[in-house]
Amino acid sequence: MASASASALIDRPEIENALGEVGGIGDVARRLTLWERISQSPVVRRIVVLMIFALLWEGAARWSDNPLLFPSLTDTIVALWDATLNGTLPARVATSLEVLLLGYSLALVIAMLLTIMAVSSAFGADVLTTLTSMFNPLPALAILPLALLWLGIGIPGLILVMVQSVVWTVAINTFVGFQSVPATLRMAGQNFGFSGLGYIFRILIPAAFPFILTGLKIGWAHAWRTLIGAELVFGVASRSGGLGWYIYENRAALETANVFAGLLAVIAIGFTVENLLFRTIEARTIRRWGIVS
Amino acid sequence: MQASGSMSVMTGDLAHSDLSAPPVLDLCGVTLQYKTRESLVTAAYRISFQALPGDRTILLGPSGCGKSTLLKAIGGYLQPVEGQILFRGKPIKRPAPDRVMVFQEFDQLFPWKTVKENITMPLRVARGISQREAEERALDYIDRVRLTKFRDSYPYMLSGGMKQRVAIARALAIEPDILLMDEPFAALDALTRRQMQEELLELWAAIRCNMVFVTHSIDEAILVGSRIVVLSPHPGRVRAELNCSKFDFGSETDPEFSELKTKIHTMLFGAV
Repeated sequence: MASASASALIDRPEIENALGEVGGIGDVARRLTLWERISQSPVVRRIVVLMIFALLWEGAARWSDNPLLFPSLTDTIVALWDATLNGTLPARVATSLEVLLLGYSLALVIAMLLTIMAVSSAFGADVLTTLTSMFNPLPALAILPLALLWLGIGIPGLILVMVQSVVWTVAINTFVGFQSVPATLRMAGQNFGFSGLGYIFRILIPAAFPFILTGLKIGWAHAWRTLIGAELVFGVASRSGGLGWYIYENRAALETANVFAGLLAVIAIGFTVENLLFRTIEARTIRRWGIVS
Repeated sequence: MQASGSMSVMTGDLAHSDLSAPPVLDLCGVTLQYKTRESLVTAAYRISFQALPGDRTILLGPSGCGKSTLLKAIGGYLQPVEGQILFRGKPIKRPAPDRVMVFQEFDQLFPWKTVKENITMPLRVARGISQREAEERALDYIDRVRLTKFRDSYPYMLSGGMKQRVAIARALAIEPDILLMDEPFAALDALTRRQMQEELLELWAAIRCNMVFVTHSIDEAILVGSRIVVLSPHPGRVRAELNCSKFDFGSETDPEFSELKTKIHTMLFGAV
């Protein structure tokens, strides 16, 4: 048996080819045509989807012919344009963003303290993970009644609610990020003499950055949604009231086109921050470093 | 303190290292233990050996002989439970840039830094020199490991072999007293591995720093090292110390080379 298969191997001729021209298929890599590239661009494709929806909206609104309940796209855009020009909408947006930034930055500071506590002792880590698993599932709006009770109607109450919506996500993501820094990287850092704050800021934070950024993004999304929701309930707490109050006010006044304009503004701001600001940070950091988690 | 109890027998030729000079590393009766989730593991038991100036000491043994743990202890990441490790006459307390470690894992490079910055950032912290000086030195070492074209690339763009070259360049740029290498080529393909061994020896010939190199490959040990500490497993003990400085890449067909190989193999795994 063995000799038979061995001789079969020996009998086969060896082959060596000279590599000829491959002109028959053209270039090995060929640039796609302009149309092929455009139709593959996600931006172009999303714009197409948006345009289809805009047409459907306009058509449905004109067909139902009830601007009190369902204003058309053109009415909404006109309302948005007017409110922007006469300054009411920008003032409301400014109020909302101011409260948002206050609440968000306070939450970041608290999250930082919680994370430092968690990385510096096992007990601190237990405290953070337990508190997070308790409070993270709790929708921030659920503590609105408490905020009203303790702090009354006003910016402090809004801020309390926003801190609750942001702090746990940011703290736990940062903590998990620190824990997931590879042992080799830590050892290398210690080897070169990094210690204390230098070690945290120059080794741990950049190494954990994908996690930290995820926490910041989710925290931002929570904060924005929570703020608009809380403003609907809190109403006019400060001088002019925020975007949520603008929507509520116009509903009461049956200015439905303005309600739609307010909603569009909420979407536009959320979209800008989530897709432009955070995308840009992502492109300049973790995508550039090739450490997308 | 009692020594391990076994008699040491001097055999073979002497290392070419300077015998009169005080040792760079002196391990006396070092026992190392570490905890896992379930148990306390004794990785190395009463290890004693010396590394003299100019030595390329190889810690060779199968997995489970505690060679990596031993290297981590020399690095200062782990304290012996018994015995002591003297570095230039002083016990090792913590990691420091005079003992730079190159790891097997590719993630030892800082992914958010380019090749050049991966060398300059540690260099500045470790040696406290100016940015300009650090850059000059970094570029010099990048040239030496032939990565000049990639100096502004990020680590994720590099192949495994290139990443290890960066790690070696980074370690050498700090100009440590002793270079600690923890199976640096083990995760590379055979061809790259071979090339890296040759390049390492060329670099070493130019710099001649002290080196402790951990490997489980007998061939690599004989080619790269000048003196081999053979460790047997569970727990790690010193089975033998052998000289191999006379072998290089030309002597692989040498009968003495395969004789030494067989000898080590027999020590580790019994007769073939």
